[in-house]
Amino acid sequence: MSRPTAAEQVRRLLALVPWLAERSPVPVEEACERFGIDEKTLMRELGVLSMVGVPPYSPDTLIWVDTSDGMITLDLVEPFDRPLRLTYEQALDLVAAGRSIREVPGADSDDPLQRGLAKLADALGVDPQQVHVGLGEARDEMLDRLTHAVEHGKRVELDHYTSGRDERTVRRVDPFRLVADRGSWYLIGWCHRSEALRYFRVDRVAGVEVLDEDAADPPDDLEWERYVPGSDDPRVTLDLAPSARWVVEHHPYESAEELPDGRTRVTLAIGAPAWFERLLVVLGPDARIVAAPDELADLGARTARRILARYGAG
Amino acid sequence: MQKLERLLNLTAVLLHTARPLPAGELRQKVPGYPESDVAFRRSFERDKDDLREMGVPIEVETVPGADPPVDGYRIPRDRYYLPDPGLEPDELAALQLAAAAIRIGDGTGREALWSLGGDRPTTTSAISAALPSDPNLGPLFEAVSTRSPVRFTYREQDRSIHPYRLGFQLGRWYLRGHDLDRDDVRVFRLDRIDGEVEVDAPGRFEIPDGERDGGELVADRWELGSEPPRVARLLVDADQAPIALAQFDPEDIVAEHPDGSIEVAITVTDPQAFRSLALSYLDHAEILEPAELRAELISWLERIAVGEETAP
Repeated sequence: MSRPTAAEQVRRLLALVPWLAERSPVPVEEACERFGIDEKTLMRELGVLSMVGVPPYSPDTLIWVDTSDGMITLDLVEPFDRPLRLTYEQALDLVAAGRSIREVPGADSDDPLQRGLAKLADALGVDPQQVHVGLGEARDEMLDRLTHAVEHGKRVELDHYTSGRDERTVRRVDPFRLVADRGSWYLIGWCHRSEALRYFRVDRVAGVEVLDEDAADPPDDLEWERYVPGSDDPRVTLDLAPSARWVVEHHPYESAEELPDGRTRVTLAIGAPAWFERLLVVLGPDARIVAAPDELADLGARTARRILARYGAG
Repeated sequence: MQKLERLLNLTAVLLHTARPLPAGELRQKVPGYPESDVAFRRSFERDKDDLREMGVPIEVETVPGADPPVDGYRIPRDRYYLPDPGLEPDELAALQLAAAAIRIGDGTGREALWSLGGDRPTTTSAISAALPSDPNLGPLFEAVSTRSPVRFTYREQDRSIHPYRLGFQLGRWYLRGHDLDRDDVRVFRLDRIDGEVEVDAPGRFEIPDGERDGGELVADRWELGSEPPRVARLLVDADQAPIALAQFDPEDIVAEHPDGSIEVAITVTDPQAFRSLALSYLDHAEILEPAELRAELISWLERIAVGEETAP
């Protein structure tokens, strides 16, 4: 962990002092937990406080700190008896959080969040209606059921379309958490079919049945990670016309370089063939395959012919 | 530690004083500044910048009666303190939970909750999301909230904007506002703004009623073109229908067939974006009409099928 800057410490202390003063004496452990710091850091910072005050810095104008018997007692904290106003950045964080949760249907049915948000916005002089937060496209009904299943620890049966392999499957999943990332919702859960932790895009879920079976507890170290190319995934090198440069802005790639003629040469790991089919037919003549394993070399043309067949034009 | 102590004492002295204090006097009153004049100035300027950055409102006023005029500093108490929002315990707990679940960047929102009091949330949320941060988010939210005009460089052009709203959509932050030079309401991607936004004085414009509804800022890509609007119908097969139901608004779904396939009707002004939309369904969808868009898709696919390339 990096050493906190003086600015971070000041910000924390300007919030910590009024909080401690209001409820003093406070158990050391409680203060540490509330402000997310260890006891050593807290004690060091409290030590500084006893040298803070206003001239002439006599005992009656310095903050009085006592930390005996595992309890913190604070006195003479004026002018730090009330917390510092929030910055606009902090205010936006809270407003965005409040607005997002409302976006999730059923997540805030009795609405203390909206009451709290309105009061807070009023005090801060901001308007939540001037902030829109859309976390991802998904059907309310699916998000609702999955949120319910996660909250109650119930196993689900998921009818899911795997876009990368272009196939639909039904599988039993122990749902652990719903995560929104870059415009899409994902369910993280233990998939009983593949016997592994899997991510499911919620907008690819055709149906959810919440089963009357308890799901396993989520692992303690559940972390969200974006797609990481597997070492076995085939690599493909493409030359992109300038109008197709968005590919390198939107997708993880292995390497990319500008060519003298204005094209971009990019190497991608192909974790899912159907994903690559889509990319090729969307890019069309704007992408040229420079290097690829044999089975992918003419994938664009084959996919185009398959779609043409559907139009009766193959 | 010395700097931490000095910043806190400087804040205390500036909050405590009723009159603006010149730098020379602060140097005497606040312990811990270096001896030499040059080093003192440098430390004092940096301290002011640090405090302002964390939201401490240090104001500069001319010291009354000083001749020649001298700058004095103080922190107005009414601007420093957080007004008590009067949150009930359940409201505070709900905000705690929301801020724990949804955060921007590294989560200054949770830091904000330190100031609001209360305890740490005891439950965890079923959902979580990390929204990307952007250095201009704070200044732009201030500008939107205080109705301050902003200036910035966007795609190598200088823009003067009356900012109306901020939005997070499709995984990105957007600003919507009135572009003064183009005399039109425009939407800007924050990640395409070059450098820092300049925020002008507050209270310079009014926000039209239609811009306070909290709705989406950006329309779907196929509605963002400049061609005359055409209504297009797309047939989506049964196994892909759930995706279409998540992707389109309910009013766009115009038919649900007995075999489970559905028909979507949408207005298209950007035919290329519409083509990409149709192709994202591979061979599980079909453009039904208009005939021109159907024909354009077929000829596009025929070019791919024969391996045509764009000339460099």
